[in-house]
Amino acid sequence: MACWAAFLLSVGLVNADKLAGRTRKYKVIFSPQKFYACEMVLEEEGIYGDVSCDEWAFSLLPLDVDLLSMELPEFFRDYFLEGDQRWINTVAQALHLLSTLYGPFPNCYGIGRCAKMAYELWRNLEEEEDGETKGRRPEIGHIFLLDRDVDFVTALCSQVVYEGLVDDTFRIKCGSVDFGPEVTSSDKSLKVLLNAEDKVFNEIRNEHFSNVFGFLSQKARNLQAQYDRRRGMDIKQMKNFVSQELKGLKQEHRLLSLHIGACESIMKKKTKQDFQELIKTEHALLEGFNIRESTSYIEEHIDRQVSPIESLRLMCLLSITENGLIPKDYRSLKTQYLQSYGPEHLLTFSNLRRAGLLTEQAPGDTLTAMESKVSKLVTDKAAGKITDAFSSLAKRSNFRAISKKLNLIPRVDGEYDLKVPRDMAYVFSGAYVPLSCRIIEQVLERRSWQGLDEVVRLLNCSDFAFTDMTKEDKASSESLRLILVVFLGGCTFSEISALRFLGREKGYRFIFLTTAVTNSARLMEAMSEVKA
Amino acid sequence: MPLASLLWKSGPVVSLGWSAEEELLCVQEDGAVLVYGLHGDFRRHFSMGNEVLQNRVLDARIFHTEFGSGVAILTGAHRFTLSANVGDLKLRRMPEVPGLQSAPSCWTALCQDRVAHILLAVGPDLYLLDHAACSAVTPPGLAPGVSSFLQMAVSFTYRHLALFTDTGYIWMGTASLKEKLCEFNCNIRAPPKQMVWCSRPRSKERAVVVAWERRLMVVGDASESIQFVLDEDSYLVPELDGVRIFSRSTHEFLHEVPVASEEIFKIASMAPGALLLEAQKEYEKESQKADEYLREIQELGQLTQAVQQCIEAAGHEHQPDMQKSLLRAASFGKCFLDRFPPDSFVHMCQDLRVLNAVRDYHIGIPLTYSQYKQLTIQVLLDRLVLRRLYPLAIQICEYLRLPEVQGVSRILAHWACYKVQQKDVSDEDVARAINQKLGDTPGVSYSDIAARAYGCGRTELAIKLLEYEPRSGEQVPLLLKMKRSKLALSKAIESGDTDLVFTVLLHLKNELNRGDFFMTLRNQPMALSLYRQFCKHQELETLKDLYNQDDNHQELGSFHIRASYAAEERIEGRVAALQTAADAFYKAKNEFAAKATEDQMRLLRLQRRLEDELGGQFLDLSLHDTVTTLILGGHNKRAEQLARDFRIPDKRLWWLKLTALADLEDWEELEKFSKSKKSPIGYLPFVEICMKQHNKYEAKKYASRVGPEQKVKALLLVGDVAQAADVAIEHRNEAELSLVLSHCTGATDGATADKIQRARAQAQKK
Repeated sequence: MACWAAFLLSVGLVNADKLAGRTRKYKVIFSPQKFYACEMVLEEEGIYGDVSCDEWAFSLLPLDVDLLSMELPEFFRDYFLEGDQRWINTVAQALHLLSTLYGPFPNCYGIGRCAKMAYELWRNLEEEEDGETKGRRPEIGHIFLLDRDVDFVTALCSQVVYEGLVDDTFRIKCGSVDFGPEVTSSDKSLKVLLNAEDKVFNEIRNEHFSNVFGFLSQKARNLQAQYDRRRGMDIKQMKNFVSQELKGLKQEHRLLSLHIGACESIMKKKTKQDFQELIKTEHALLEGFNIRESTSYIEEHIDRQVSPIESLRLMCLLSITENGLIPKDYRSLKTQYLQSYGPEHLLTFSNLRRAGLLTEQAPGDTLTAMESKVSKLVTDKAAGKITDAFSSLAKRSNFRAISKKLNLIPRVDGEYDLKVPRDMAYVFSGAYVPLSCRIIEQVLERRSWQGLDEVVRLLNCSDFAFTDMTKEDKASSESLRLILVVFLGGCTFSEISALRFLGREKGYRFIFLTTAVTNSARLMEAMSEVKA
Repeated sequence: MPLASLLWKSGPVVSLGWSAEEELLCVQEDGAVLVYGLHGDFRRHFSMGNEVLQNRVLDARIFHTEFGSGVAILTGAHRFTLSANVGDLKLRRMPEVPGLQSAPSCWTALCQDRVAHILLAVGPDLYLLDHAACSAVTPPGLAPGVSSFLQMAVSFTYRHLALFTDTGYIWMGTASLKEKLCEFNCNIRAPPKQMVWCSRPRSKERAVVVAWERRLMVVGDASESIQFVLDEDSYLVPELDGVRIFSRSTHEFLHEVPVASEEIFKIASMAPGALLLEAQKEYEKESQKADEYLREIQELGQLTQAVQQCIEAAGHEHQPDMQKSLLRAASFGKCFLDRFPPDSFVHMCQDLRVLNAVRDYHIGIPLTYSQYKQLTIQVLLDRLVLRRLYPLAIQICEYLRLPEVQGVSRILAHWACYKVQQKDVSDEDVARAINQKLGDTPGVSYSDIAARAYGCGRTELAIKLLEYEPRSGEQVPLLLKMKRSKLALSKAIESGDTDLVFTVLLHLKNELNRGDFFMTLRNQPMALSLYRQFCKHQELETLKDLYNQDDNHQELGSFHIRASYAAEERIEGRVAALQTAADAFYKAKNEFAAKATEDQMRLLRLQRRLEDELGGQFLDLSLHDTVTTLILGGHNKRAEQLARDFRIPDKRLWWLKLTALADLEDWEELEKFSKSKKSPIGYLPFVEICMKQHNKYEAKKYASRVGPEQKVKALLLVGDVAQAADVAIEHRNEAELSLVLSHCTGATDGATADKIQRARAQAQKK
């Protein structure tokens, strides 16, 4: 509800001006849409006449050649915690916009409650404005909608792909990042756009971090070699070199030194023993062994006040992979956390429980008993009833079973070669294939959810997995290679990298549409309550 | 065929007239204008101003402008008032005419340059009134000796003006009075009953029709006039292309013969069209003359022209037989042409079918071709709909293949709106009939029809009709209007438009009492969460009430906790808020949260005491930070007391103390502490923290005490590679060996590296 806060702030400003006897003209521009509630507030405050309102129906920000963001970070908290569905309409409108631009989507898949609602709203919009997209040749063959709560695990893991690491370390905002003095090796900070335009970045963004340094130094050597060609040039060649190549080389040089700086800075922070142990613990949690050891690692993490967000993240990861904490741990970890980071986090825990991120294993609650509850709720006609019911009954994650079914933990014989990855697991050092990406891969392979019933059931999405295929005769084979993946509640750079890899392997091209780019820290912050 | 009749119960009527929307305007003597629909249904009324009430209306004119239909009146005080558009009533009182003592002999409303004027004649003078001034005007070339004007007529397009004087003289000119066209002397001094223009668009001929009791005279730019005898009392209505003459038993149309018709039907005409018609007739008789005629046209190269003439002439015919024979001739001629575009022929056939259909006496809309083209098909359809001739309108749409949204759907929607007004049919039957006819025809809005039904007071029917509306969002506004807010709420939720839900919510909030409102919300979680979000920012107290009503003690607890941070400043207030929260948590059976809250209360009080006694900042620190602050301040006793009171686990306490003492660089105390008992966290952290403070000396002290599993790590940390190697070899641990090896640098550790390699080799041998 960031927008709300900003809006109320502006209302406060107007009122302050009024009190001070200043009369001014005010304009409020709502983006992506104007809410009735806002107008109402203006009316109640008695300043409706002083303020003129406009709507800027801006919904899609292209951050990169294959990445569209709605820049709605509040979507995650509003929907997954508060059950507020206002943004779903915004998503539906964005999809409608895309289909008017690129023609109808012949194949639609989706999983998750929000995905289904957004899809249905979108369909309604299409029907209302019949005929506009009809008869157009589809340019994008598939669309896949996915709720963030289908896969929290991937979003909670530490990222080790370069772009993800940069995001985790420096925070990428709207496709650009502020590199501080420690990176730029000067006394100034520098705002850098990170996208495919940056040639150096484009080559390393999807690489596992362990390869990046080697790549950059190779690149530096090549660059030097190109500079060195100057020697032994005659005047004419030199003129050519200066007018044509030098600028490009200089640019590359600048970028190279920036990324090397960034790498060094990351190395300083991440290659410490702490980080390696952290990763080791994460992998143990994903694979499900040495749970006791991991639990005490987390406890130590909390005791040492390493970082409130990190501690929280590890607790959530433990909870989801283990289908909830055992009651003893649930209590003791929470107690430790409150002692370390302050009692106000009691509210944070209440939020996390509601979102299903940090829960307690209920002894009597077997899977089947849960399911019958869920299905009873689902059959209830009024769809709205489910949101609340769901959050109150703390979803089971069933991660272990899903992991087995979908083979998320690759069996490794010997060392996993991160330079030449075999599968999407490389984005997590070969330890884990991102669940979200695996689901997408499987569905695309089958062109439906067929044969994935068990997985869908384990994901608690039996009623929210859908496929909608229309005749494909109009779709060119070119367009059928193109897939739009929509993440509702945010996606991480690791997921993007993994799918880019899948695309290269299978000859697909993925385009990403997300409500916002996210990472573990952002998810945790969204759930945290801090003192005002 | 009478459309409607009604008994007049109102005041005396001065003038009657039709508006462009086919509404009957009745101007009463008291200045009130009553508006009736085509079926005699009263629509509305308006007044031509207060002044009229006293002075009465002497005379009124209804005229048409590009804005719509206007009304002009002449009051008893000899003043003019007009409104150029009765649909958007703006009264304009015209300036006074100086010296006007009696009613003008004749007057008319003129429309020039989008502004309405009044032209009036007083004795031998003419005055033009616009909204600002009154100016005297003189028609150029007016014959002398005029002492008064008896009649004036403005043409249909306001372009021409005719004046009839008391000398029996007619002046014809432009309405701007800048140019004279012609004049005519009819030598009849009796004032004519009516005088109207009769001309055809784009025709050079101009004529005026003057009517007396039983005589009709057509005069124009010729020395002779045409005269007709009228058998009955008649009334003239000017049209775009001629004059309608109504009498009790007849309806005739007088117009200039169109050029194409004249060419073809003139006696002994040799025009190409006439020859073609002749050729076709001969062809039907199987006579070779057909060929001769055809050749004649072709030799002159006029066949295209001939076909066009026949098509055009067909358009002006009213008799289907005549239309057919002309079209047949055109079709015949077309056969001998290579590339004659078929559009004009096809369109004429279509237009004539439509025209013949509406000219039928059952329908009674005798339009000419030119009028029809001016009117456009859309307006014609509107007029049919207005006459409730829905089937014909639909047939025309289908015949002309008009797009559904503009055509059939629109008419069906009108039909449905009419249908809901039939009060003698039950709601079910009406709803079913409408749905059967309309189905889901695109472009039909059931909510519009429902709105009409509601307008007729049939709420139940409206609700039934709304059920057919596929877009639930469309149903909401009407449901709200009909005070079916709860139904509106569920429809809004169905639509998925949160904004709509919100609109309904605020409606409900004002409409219901609080208890009912909350109960309604309770069954609609989506709406509830939306309202909660709103309350969180706008009405915190309401939020509390909401939780209370639901017995949601968990959320209530959270609410009070939040309040203890945000709302309360004083420590007592905060503790009280926390106490309420703790009670709520107990009720919610959340013992953990209750205990944690109670601990927090305890901590708050204690922090307060610490601040009082020791000074410094303690409030709102976490327990951990409180203890750390105490240690950093040298209050070790207090710190330990606190740790005991709050049962801080040993491990945490050790980490805490270790960090705090290292921060203080109190190495002595640290060493004492390390020896106080066996460390629950081992000794590696001691080594690490010393190294972090760059104190190798202290670090080494602890390295020796580190347990065997972490020994290598500890030794490496303090930089003792050689010893680390020894330990690793002793452990025969491959991982440790490689770790040490990776720390071996340069020449200094060369010996050690060799040693490890040897040990490795040995281990492999075994």
